[in-house]
Amino acid sequence: MPNPSPARVHDFTVVSNEPIADGIFKLVVSAPACAAALKPGQFVNIAVPGNAMSLLRVPLSFAAADAQAGTIEIWYAVVGDGTERLSHMAAGDTSTLLGPGGRGWGAPAGCARALLVAGGIGVPPVLCLARELAAAGVAVDVVFGAATAAKLVGEAEARVLGAGEVRVCTDDGTAGHHGFVTDPARELLAANAYDYVATCGPAPMMERVAGLAKEAGVFCEASLERMMSCGFGACNTCNVQTVDGMKGACMCGPVFDASKVVVF
Amino acid sequence: MANVNMAVDFGGVKMKNPINTAAGTFGYGWQFSELMDVSALGAITTKGCAAEPWEGNPAPRMTELRGGMMNSVGLQNPGVRAFAEQSGPWLADLAEKGTRVICQVAGHSTEEYVRALELFDELCPWAAGFEINVSCPNIAAGGAACGSTPEGAAEVMRACRKVTKRPLFVKMAPVRVPEIAVALEEAGADGLTIINSIQGMAIDVHTRRSRLCKPKGGLSGPLCHPIAVRMVWEAVQVVDIPICGVGGVMTGEDAAEFILAGACCVAVGMASFAEPDASVRILHELEAWAESQGVSDINELIGAFEC
Repeated sequence: MPNPSPARVHDFTVVSNEPIADGIFKLVVSAPACAAALKPGQFVNIAVPGNAMSLLRVPLSFAAADAQAGTIEIWYAVVGDGTERLSHMAAGDTSTLLGPGGRGWGAPAGCARALLVAGGIGVPPVLCLARELAAAGVAVDVVFGAATAAKLVGEAEARVLGAGEVRVCTDDGTAGHHGFVTDPARELLAANAYDYVATCGPAPMMERVAGLAKEAGVFCEASLERMMSCGFGACNTCNVQTVDGMKGACMCGPVFDASKVVVF
Repeated sequence: MANVNMAVDFGGVKMKNPINTAAGTFGYGWQFSELMDVSALGAITTKGCAAEPWEGNPAPRMTELRGGMMNSVGLQNPGVRAFAEQSGPWLADLAEKGTRVICQVAGHSTEEYVRALELFDELCPWAAGFEINVSCPNIAAGGAACGSTPEGAAEVMRACRKVTKRPLFVKMAPVRVPEIAVALEEAGADGLTIINSIQGMAIDVHTRRSRLCKPKGGLSGPLCHPIAVRMVWEAVQVVDIPICGVGGVMTGEDAAEFILAGACCVAVGMASFAEPDASVRILHELEAWAESQGVSDINELIGAFEC
């Protein structure tokens, strides 16, 4: 039989849960076994307690996992009933999460320089990757975008981790470059020799970034989002159309080789 | 445990307890192997497989709704041969441990059901029985039509009946249940699984598009539960073959409702997505309920509803 998901159900306790931007929260939970097992780009599937009308778990990427402290840092946008109720969880509250889920980032061996491009709430898993690459001595350039300055996250963290180029963009010009992340991404790809491009954000953005990487001849991975029922390979709802057929985002992704993705 | 006999006979499939899993919500069982003790269950029903692989529908295949969910997976499956090869050894081991394995059979036509069932019968000696999915609402090519009339459902059943001696069940669409149940009993079904998901629609009013890849999808979850209980109860009035109740079972009391309405076993569906080991919790809760009713055998409670 194929391997079952490595995900297990873990108890967690909320350490903190604070807004960090307009409609975006930073949740820190204590879940030592999962924190030690998580790799950048994987996800956790959170059960939000309460008398819910929405019953499924909320699958979320993470911005950092600290094996020593046993904590997982999750940045999430409030977009529906589940994340709305999650935003009301307070320090000391408990529930369960299922993780680690899925396949994370896979930078090519020997990667010397990487370009990381993220938009909106796609920033946290890319930031997590940036930290790992920088720690491994890979030169990292980042381009982060958001609809508007009030929703922009991750710039300060990118500078702290030692990224070379840190470019930010907003759709309305309230911070950084007035326009899409694809403009600086194109410039950087033309100016530098990269071994790896990683991207997460709105589907049209990822598709364009993948197109730019392909033109530049650079290996590119994209972290995709799908509606997920279970998160461990049983429901067949989080499918991604690839050149090799339908693949579940929870087991074969969420990170995919962008050149194999048919529908982002 | 063990103060109440929980064993039931579902149309020749002798289950050590009445808890089953709904096809499509439990993968092929092994997906749950590290998350719970699958062998605690009376039976599992594996996701439907057809004679040949089906790729299923494009994204989005699922949308969450108040009190449930709606899907349009389109029965993605690897085909019976790959299923038997990849999942067969684990399922054979599960059967050894005393949990019955019921395999769901998918097809677009009577011929396709027969072909798939022939392969199942040949390649899955560990299967305790088969469930014919004549009711999947997602198959444009005729799956819904097969199961939505007494004649169509009976035709599939009669053809499948000739293929295997093992118990045969039918997963029924939530339409014309009493009359189709009678037709299926006459055509040789050993039992009925009631109900499959209920067709619904969900429109994103901002984009004016469906929230699924197709206009319609299959509703499941607690919002379906009262409808499913009613349909089981209506079928019980008109057939003698046993029934597996399916629809939004989240707790032991939900399962108990099906038992009281006349189901001999109960399949857990959506609950397994949110809480992988929900079926085991539900089994323990059902057992506690049976004990609280002061019976020594759960069979005494099947159909014990007093209106």
